Amino acid sequence: MNRNYLYLTMLMLALAGGLFVLPERNNEQGTLPEELMWDIVQPTRYATTDQVARMIIEKDPTIELIDVRPFDEYTDFSLPGAVNIPLDSIVNENYQDYLGIQDMNAVFFSDDDIKADQAWVIARRMGYDNIYVMRGGLNCWVETIIRPEKPDETASRQEFEKYILRKGASMYFVGGAKMDENTGSKKTNVAVKRKKKAAVAEGGC
Amino acid sequence: MMGPLIPQGIITGEWDFVIALLLGIAFGFILEASGFSSSRNIAGVFYGYNFVVLRVFLTAVLVAMIGLLYFDYMGWIEMDLVYVLPTYLRSMVVGSFIMGLGFVLGGFCPGTSYTAIAIGKIDALVFTGGLFLGIFLFSEAFPWISGFYYSDNLGNVTVNEVLGISNELFTFILVVMGLVAFWGTWLIEKRVRKTNKHYKFE
Repeated sequence: MNRNYLYLTMLMLALAGGLFVLPERNNEQGTLPEELMWDIVQPTRYATTDQVARMIIEKDPTIELIDVRPFDEYTDFSLPGAVNIPLDSIVNENYQDYLGIQDMNAVFFSDDDIKADQAWVIARRMGYDNIYVMRGGLNCWVETIIRPEKPDETASRQEFEKYILRKGASMYFVGGAKMDENTGSKKTNVAVKRKKKAAVAEGGC
Repeated sequence: MMGPLIPQGIITGEWDFVIALLLGIAFGFILEASGFSSSRNIAGVFYGYNFVVLRVFLTAVLVAMIGLLYFDYMGWIEMDLVYVLPTYLRSMVVGSFIMGLGFVLGGFCPGTSYTAIAIGKIDALVFTGGLFLGIFLFSEAFPWISGFYYSDNLGNVTVNEVLGISNELFTFILVVMGLVAFWGTWLIEKRVRKTNKHYKFE
């Protein structure tokens, strides 16, 4: 019998046994501060309300709206198709399935963009990619999409085009009620003038 | 630095094929060098005169297991990112019986049949023909057997998760079992070879 086999057997046992006596060691490697800073200053991490509106209207399957406000505010009003992950639950195990879905772009939003920004930083620190913040939050959403302001007469053509798009989006989200104001489909009394019957032998022949 | 490299996005998925090719060449070379191109060596496991297959594969498994755990400890590899194949219990049990039957009948496993072709063995060529025929028949019949194939899905689990013990304990148990198998098969080999005179052992 070869003596080397005996040594190898002992070595294997020692290595396997050694696994038990290893001291605890934490290999967690978080995002480096420089990387996080670099990511935070990128303007591309924001999505405008116009972009979000267009993606909702076009039923873009890659967008995932995440409302980070508390649950009761979410039930009062939120964007169509949005899921609710309250800010303090972002790190919760149960919500992790919503984040980091492949090929999905998660867009955080809150009333303004402070809470959404905080959620973004936490999610980024947890290692999620493809996450965005809706700039201006729901306040900006109401200002720009639900009640868009008509630009001045002297505004540029682009401004007007944007206004028309927002007006269309507003109709999409608010529904017919808003539409009636402008198109005049409200029921109005239209006076029907009936032609008087010609009097007998009016005029001569 | 932490592996695995592809899920981390350090290298792209296209490297898969390049890495597979390099690993395949290395694997084939070591199979041939360990004498796995000989169907006598392989079938010997079933007759009890040659356990080289068992010893080589078990060594590879144990070294890889211990190595991965130490790598994980050192932070060189992220074990949570390592892909674990899903376990379909029933079809895997049946599949391993069919595989074992093919092993003892043909004297090759799929990998070793290719190394045997590489050194010019005709029986290996016939074996590979049967292998492709089997793959073809299996693919054609798959719609009928897919129900069975996917039954008893345990998900992407590892043995220690199912048993509810730690990775380290399971590794230690397997190492002890492996070492017992090494010495045990060595004794069996010795006894069988004493009575078996018609086969010359190198």
